[in-house]
Amino acid sequence: MSAANGTATRELNLVQAINEGLRQAMEADERVLILGEDVGVNGGVFRVTEGLYQKFGGERVIDTPLAELGIMGASIGLAVAGLRPVCEIQFDGFLPSVLDQVVCHLGRLRNRSRGHNTVPLVLRAPHGGLIHAPEHHSESPEAYFCHTPGIKVVVPSTPEDAKGLIIAAIKDPDPVVFFEPKLLYRAARGPVPERPYETALGKARLAREGGDISLICWGAMVHTCLKAAEELSKDGISAEVLDLRTLAPVDLESLLSTVEKTGRVVIAHEAPNMGSWAAELCALISERALLKLKAPVRRVGSWDIRMPLFRLERFYIPDAERVALAAKETLSF
Amino acid sequence: MALETVSQEKTQRLEILSPEGCIDAAVSVDVPEPVLLDIYRKMVEIRLFDERAIKLQRQGRLGTYPQILGQEASQVIPALCLEPRDWLVPTYRGQGAYYARGMQLRYSLLYWAGDDRGVRFGQERDMIFSIPVGTHLTQVAGLAWASKLKGDGSVALTYLGDGTSSKGDFHEALTFAGQFKLPAIYVIENNHWAISVPRERQAAAKTLAQKAHGYGVFGLQVDGNDPLAVWAAATRAIARARAGQGPSVIECETYRLGHHTTADDATRYRSSAEVEAWKRKDPVPRLRRYLEKRGLWDEARENALLDQAQAMVQAEVDAYEAFPPPNPLDMFSENYERAPWPLVEQRAQLEKLLEFKADRQEVPALPPAEGRFP
Repeated sequence: MSAANGTATRELNLVQAINEGLRQAMEADERVLILGEDVGVNGGVFRVTEGLYQKFGGERVIDTPLAELGIMGASIGLAVAGLRPVCEIQFDGFLPSVLDQVVCHLGRLRNRSRGHNTVPLVLRAPHGGLIHAPEHHSESPEAYFCHTPGIKVVVPSTPEDAKGLIIAAIKDPDPVVFFEPKLLYRAARGPVPERPYETALGKARLAREGGDISLICWGAMVHTCLKAAEELSKDGISAEVLDLRTLAPVDLESLLSTVEKTGRVVIAHEAPNMGSWAAELCALISERALLKLKAPVRRVGSWDIRMPLFRLERFYIPDAERVALAAKETLSF
Repeated sequence: MALETVSQEKTQRLEILSPEGCIDAAVSVDVPEPVLLDIYRKMVEIRLFDERAIKLQRQGRLGTYPQILGQEASQVIPALCLEPRDWLVPTYRGQGAYYARGMQLRYSLLYWAGDDRGVRFGQERDMIFSIPVGTHLTQVAGLAWASKLKGDGSVALTYLGDGTSSKGDFHEALTFAGQFKLPAIYVIENNHWAISVPRERQAAAKTLAQKAHGYGVFGLQVDGNDPLAVWAAATRAIARARAGQGPSVIECETYRLGHHTTADDATRYRSSAEVEAWKRKDPVPRLRRYLEKRGLWDEARENALLDQAQAMVQAEVDAYEAFPPPNPLDMFSENYERAPWPLVEQRAQLEKLLEFKADRQEVPALPPAEGRFP
């Protein structure tokens, strides 16, 4: 179902779009419930679940004790037993504590039980930096999740996609990790259809067409790449921007199609390059489109050190300047 | 076969000083006078600092800041009871504990301004707090274990909140501490709110202190706004630990009078009546009334203290604001004993990028890079 066909739209930000998607998914399916820290009365620390406790009550929008691993494990149990939990881990920096359940169980239960136990849940968490947040509140841990077989990983970059993807994630029969770029929570605004709709998982979005070089990205970095593309256009360079939207499983067709079109690739993301999802994309491109390349694929990520405190975050996470410089170097290879 | 009781643990609560500043005649109070005055002074100083930090944040001169308003007794006193050789591991809401051990408050401001140079504490054995809550608790068991193995007579004291007591880390930490009879003290600052989630939502248990019993650990609840009770409980727990009698959990029942942090709005989830009721148990005026009754304090001394404290806070704010912006290259220092090639390469890339940005006047003049590299 495309978001574009018919019915009214209005401008929403990312928070409002996800909130509406959650609300409509809960209206459509009474098995859907939300649990996490501060998601109920307080409406979430970013207000993503605002108003849902008041509308659906404390049995469906549940403030849990402060125990991330407990939230994760309990959500798995709820999902195996037939409910559709959407659990929230309040900050990306608290996700490592749920990896025990994610790696050992969330991605494996279907296979281990030979299809007897399935885990249709959504794990929501904020993603990324550049909001001057405290330590452990600006992380980009997607690679840990993408590396885990059996789960899907989604990162929207526009309000329209955010609503369609959260609804699709909730309906998906398998576990989906849904990252919400916190830089975009209020900064990204755009038209969002009022009715419920799904944006297909596993499909990328061409955010900008171009012929000279492909900038591949996700989350908040999509906007950085669009800015870089704009800068590059002043120098007569036509950059294409591919917003992956789903990281796992990645949209191979769109990925290869842009590589074949331009032959030059920069992959931009917020995580350190070492062992990153960008590294996996590089491998995919080299395995499947090596002869289409006119230059080595370039990764532009954060440095291979921990995220510094926020005074230095803009020197750590790539900005449009770093992306554009890498693009120019790739073009002059 | 009939049921028989195989275990029956009782949880006690300690309160010595009433909210009115009156003392329970049945309890002997043996806090030395200089200690009492030191406790009061530090509680007042940290409160003034806290107020000032909030103002700085509101003026855009500081990042997100976690207030300790109302928790001064449970923050400051346990740390004050330690010896320099002991380990201290506060939480992120721990500037009071670090201050009690000698941290200059300029560094607290620098840290909450998003500057890694703000990590500078008063004692060698003050460990950096954890932001993912509770992850330090097993580490503290390790610190205490090392003290025991080395036989150096030191103890490890740490803090956690009521919310953190729900985490698996708490269970594992107490399992280790109890099993190996470690010289560890776990101070729960039960301030009743984990952001918007009330204490009652954290555990069906009547107290958090009683959780200790399940691990063979001593557990005690104290009125955390009663400075004398906190002092008595902390000194006893530390003495027990030092004497090889094992770990303790002290649940300080207190109240977070402010928001969770400056990014929070507590009026969304709790009533002002509740807040007002707790203000009447405020530990600072409570101790002041007691000191006055003992003839140790009066208005002149109070005014002198406020003047000194304001001057100290102002000096710390000035020192904080005099720091030049950090050199971005600092982030490459102190990552490894010796930095491997990716860091050497990437630091050089950043250096080039900074020159590029300097040419375009996108970065201010920077001080020399700090820290060890490579």
